[in-house]
Amino acid sequence: MTLKNISFKRILRNLKTFFSNPANIILVVFAVILSIAVIYPLIILAFDAFTIHSLREAKEINEVLETTLKKGDLTFGHWLLLMFNSEVEGFSQTNFWDPLWKSVLMSLIACLVAVLGGGVIAWFITRSNMPCKKFISTVFVFPYIMPSWSIAMFWENFFKNSQITSCYNEVGLLESMTGICVPESLLYGFWPTAFVLGIHYMPFAYILIGGILRNMDANLEEAATILKASRFKILRRITLPIVAPALISTVLLVFASSISSYTVPHFLNANGSFNSISITMRSMLTTGQKGKGYVIAVILLVFSMLILTINNWFTKSRRNFTTVSGKSGQISKANLGKFKWPITALLIAFVGFFAVFPLVTFVLESLCAKSGDLSTLTLKYWTTTEDLDVRITSQLQSSQGVLHNFTIWNAFGRSILVSTVVALFAGTFGILIGYAVSKNRRGKLANFVSSLAFLPYLIPALSFGAVFFALITMPQFNWLNVANTNNQWSAIAICIIAGSIKFLPFASRSGTNAMLQLSGEIEEAAIITGCPWGKRMTKILFPIQKSSFISGYLLPFISCMRELTLFTLLTDNFSLITNTLQFYDTYGLGQISNAINLLIVVFVIGANLLVNALTGASIDKGIGG
Amino acid sequence: MPRIELINVSKRWGNFVAVDHLNMVIEDREFVTLLGPSGCGKTTTLRMIAGLETPTEGKIIIGDQVVFDSESGINVSPAKRDVGFLFQNYALWPHMTVWKNISFGLENLKWPRDKIQARVVEVMKMLKIEEFKDRYPAELSGGQQQRVAIARTLAPEPKVLFMDEPLSNLDAKLRGEMRTELKRLHSDTNSTFVYVTHDQLEAMTLATRVCLIDKGILQQYDPPLYVYNRPNNLFVADFVGNPTMNFIEATASKVNGKECELEFLGIRVKYTGEKDISLTDEKVVIGIRPEFLPIKEGGAIHGLAYSTLPAGMETTVKIKIGEEILSSVVFGSIDYDVDEKITFDIVGNGIVLFDATTKNQVTLGSVQVIK
Repeated sequence: MTLKNISFKRILRNLKTFFSNPANIILVVFAVILSIAVIYPLIILAFDAFTIHSLREAKEINEVLETTLKKGDLTFGHWLLLMFNSEVEGFSQTNFWDPLWKSVLMSLIACLVAVLGGGVIAWFITRSNMPCKKFISTVFVFPYIMPSWSIAMFWENFFKNSQITSCYNEVGLLESMTGICVPESLLYGFWPTAFVLGIHYMPFAYILIGGILRNMDANLEEAATILKASRFKILRRITLPIVAPALISTVLLVFASSISSYTVPHFLNANGSFNSISITMRSMLTTGQKGKGYVIAVILLVFSMLILTINNWFTKSRRNFTTVSGKSGQISKANLGKFKWPITALLIAFVGFFAVFPLVTFVLESLCAKSGDLSTLTLKYWTTTEDLDVRITSQLQSSQGVLHNFTIWNAFGRSILVSTVVALFAGTFGILIGYAVSKNRRGKLANFVSSLAFLPYLIPALSFGAVFFALITMPQFNWLNVANTNNQWSAIAICIIAGSIKFLPFASRSGTNAMLQLSGEIEEAAIITGCPWGKRMTKILFPIQKSSFISGYLLPFISCMRELTLFTLLTDNFSLITNTLQFYDTYGLGQISNAINLLIVVFVIGANLLVNALTGASIDKGIGG
Repeated sequence: MPRIELINVSKRWGNFVAVDHLNMVIEDREFVTLLGPSGCGKTTTLRMIAGLETPTEGKIIIGDQVVFDSESGINVSPAKRDVGFLFQNYALWPHMTVWKNISFGLENLKWPRDKIQARVVEVMKMLKIEEFKDRYPAELSGGQQQRVAIARTLAPEPKVLFMDEPLSNLDAKLRGEMRTELKRLHSDTNSTFVYVTHDQLEAMTLATRVCLIDKGILQQYDPPLYVYNRPNNLFVADFVGNPTMNFIEATASKVNGKECELEFLGIRVKYTGEKDISLTDEKVVIGIRPEFLPIKEGGAIHGLAYSTLPAGMETTVKIKIGEEILSSVVFGSIDYDVDEKITFDIVGNGIVLFDATTKNQVTLGSVQVIK
């Protein structure tokens, strides 16, 4: 009896000690929140892949499997019907295996393009005497800040031509300027999709690889120079192996993002020649084949988990050399000699073409009555108060010029609201998690929380959207479903929830990196003087790492502002600015969708530059770390 | 006035024992150094007393207040222990000026504004840093940062001051100067100082008492010269003193009260201890400080000059005898040729006899070579 009392007291006392540390409270709170917000939806998703959702599904499965299952029953049927369908000739081939292996191939090509392009530019910028570095590195990041489909839209604007039937006689810039008509396979389908994805992730690769090249102790290379290694040998035997973990990390992250990317394949599939796995999944989810759609979502998830595991394995401390940083700041830069200016010109042309030129085409496209035809310039699509399309007006939405279009501006406002709240949540959570994790570096709970916080990054946006879609179709969460309530606040609420979790990874990463850079003594020095926790956070820790923390807010904001894939299932056509872009595009009002895209891109780049100028924070600080 | 008492304090991380049942008393106004190799638990001990680390078990008393007791669940927060802490890398807040760094702690203690003003000026004058008041830490040299850190720690007038290797980031010359000033500061401020270092010279020169720790266990806790002259065991003897004590394995025989015969390196000596000698077996180690091996003509023992290291004021001579190398320190500068034949004696009554099995000191004594 007394023995029991003592041990109970001891447990109570230990608990009291444990919870007297704010870091531990944060860990426990987030362990609970993230378990609910990340793990619970995943379980629901997994269940959905085994559940019969409709009478139609039940009928189909019962016919094939000769069972008598009802709606709501659990079954392996979806998996069998999707992967090994013997009823419909070629169904599995065209709806699963083909899209899957083509998507894998597409992602690999995208990785190759991103890593080669990003790596080469990173090397030139950090390790050579090339001029105009500042300009190139600032502008080069644009494609990553822009919505992912921007390059795809630009691609279409630039290359579409009169020879291609799926362009409906629209003319692209290239044709109107030079008269050259490229073949259809260069405009739509597999290769353009892979290449455009590669371009989109090139800045991402550049940021990751450049960060390491910049932080790498030059002594390591200098030591090799003194031992008479040639420049090429140094690159091959010293630099590359040290950068290797980052390269692998980049490849894996780009791969994970590409395979689940929905928007780019969607934009460059106007002729239906290349159905990626993500397109297949969305069309199944929206055409009453939910079970099969969820099966694909689960498969994409497993892919990502595998990638996370491989990535963790590669970046384990023993193999990870990225923290190498020495005191020698003087890096011997490669002298490009007489190639200096040609290379610079080439790079400027390259970044100009993919980072600045798209903006020009968005402007021009929004001004051309006849797409690509510069003789038909008009301000109509910006200024008119007339209705441009009665089909839209009949849906009680505006089809007036952009400046007078309440549908667009309402959606824009909602997007800014959602992004701001998401940034506040994700950024603050990121800092708190970073703080708690850095205080318990080897703790099991800290590891658990930090992995959970990173997990959403690897869950494909579409699967993640599907998870929340599954959630809001449940009766008890119906009030979050805009299709049901017809109230945009439902969409705003669910987007904030989904966004805060989906964009937490970068915030928590930059928060953790920033906190780890601070020695524990900085905080302890304040503890000793009796400074309470809240004041320590706001007066000591935050100001010191201000720019990193603000990057942790900026990234979720920008990502959320331009996000479509994640929200596409959770919203209707008018909820967010990205929805309206797609909506006007499907009604053939390319001018307006180009104008909307221009709005988003200018807003996002402007916000980035503004925050950068005010606080010194920038997105590459958030990712690079 | 504060007296710090540690009773059976232990700290474990999983299976790793950082501090093992430590008992010690730090008297008021003492200057105690915690000395030991890196990873021995000295910093952990300091942080536990300050309250930055929670002990696994034990009891800590500062003054008449129990600040930690694992039995009754008392754990007073560091802010309420009235202590100052000087960190190894200063932990100056980079976004605050020198003035703000010093005044911040006083603001937390809710001092009135004019009193803060006066106190900051006072400590800045004391540490000669008035001219830097508007500078940021990054604009100061290492030595200046150090002074600011000390000023910040002293400002709230803590009764106990903890220092965690505060001089290890300074160059040798500056370190010497700061040592002098810290010792002055100790008598000027009337506080108790607890100081962690792995530098035995620092520990010896600063402290009123040295606490030697190895693998989390207290080895010896005595005034510096006592530790130097009467080390408790082989670890302490080896750790303190530079050049280190010479250790020679020997065989003891004819133990008789305070006397015995020792044989080592082909030499036979008669050893006379201060007290009765009791050994586990005949295996012993004799410890001889370098200053007890004077080189002189006609010395009783023969050896070769292995190498000579003149430092100006004194010269360290490495003597080769058989396969052993012994160190001897001679006052003034001399230089021997390599492998020159020399002779030396073993003098004084501070020759330490250790039990080779238990590694503990048996007694101190003197030796006489048996011809």
